[in-house]
Amino acid sequence: MKSKTTLSELTPEEMVDSFVFPIALSPEEKKIADRELNEARRKRQLNMTEHERLLLRLMQLRYRLENYIQQEPYDSKLGFSYFLNEYLNIVDKRRKEFANDIDIHETLLSQLMNNRREPNESIMVRLEIHSNNVIPAIHWLKLVEKSKEHDIRTNAKLRQKERRYVRNKLELSGK
Amino acid sequence: MQVTECTSGQKKHVTVKGLERGDLKKITRREYFFDWKAARKGAEMYKLSLTEDDSILGLVALVDVPAEYRLEINLLVSSVQNVGKGKRYEGIAGCLISFACREALTKYGDLACVSLTPKTELKQHYINKYGMSPGGKQVFVEGKELLDLIKKYPS
Repeated sequence: MKSKTTLSELTPEEMVDSFVFPIALSPEEKKIADRELNEARRKRQLNMTEHERLLLRLMQLRYRLENYIQQEPYDSKLGFSYFLNEYLNIVDKRRKEFANDIDIHETLLSQLMNNRREPNESIMVRLEIHSNNVIPAIHWLKLVEKSKEHDIRTNAKLRQKERRYVRNKLELSGK
Repeated sequence: MQVTECTSGQKKHVTVKGLERGDLKKITRREYFFDWKAARKGAEMYKLSLTEDDSILGLVALVDVPAEYRLEINLLVSSVQNVGKGKRYEGIAGCLISFACREALTKYGDLACVSLTPKTELKQHYINKYGMSPGGKQVFVEGKELLDLIKKYPS
């Protein structure tokens, strides 16, 4: 099938179903087109509600979290505490207020936010409920597991420490 | 992400990934309509493939415009078997546009926008099909409509 024949046979709906065609604009035309676009977007942004903005920012956090747990290598800076801090920034809550929202002590929240304590399942579920399911508990769990996985894979000190408790280690060759 | 097999109505899983160097040999003008090597200039290229056999069903070239919190779709095609009345799978362009929306949202949050410059006679069709808004010569999607597109073709 020759591509030219195919394209000329398509209806507008079929074209839109399968293509965005390249359009060559001169630099001047492109400048005007971008100016028109920016004007239309400015009006759209003015009409955006706070609720819409909040949802967009929460979805951004969700996708950043998903990308990190699914695709990206471990990064010590991107732990539970980092994403929890981001969440609090987005929902624009003070620690005391947020601790009250999810019914935990402010000290515990502070420990979670400073990476001095790990969250339990209840906290992850409360975060899910607080976000109205935008950020599921399973995402928080996978985030914590990613740190744990890295730790168990690379913790040389722990290996050194535990070695003394193991007797009759198997002697295997050629593994 | 899923596309629908037109004959059976079956949903098939697809993934969108960055184009690799080795893919360029497979991307012929006959199969994908345009000179994709030329389209690479200044754009990030992505392929939509079936998870089960890795065959490339569609391609998109995205240009990042960070100063405007925007991703621009410069070119998008479905492979020749997936165009017109006899096409094999439905939803390829939708999945690729949805992918662009997700990328823009991840980068730019509440300011994120995806735009494209349509042929004049197709402008209203993009608006109808993908919930885009007119912006002079271009059409664009942002805000709730951008989220709606991501929801319609979920990853």
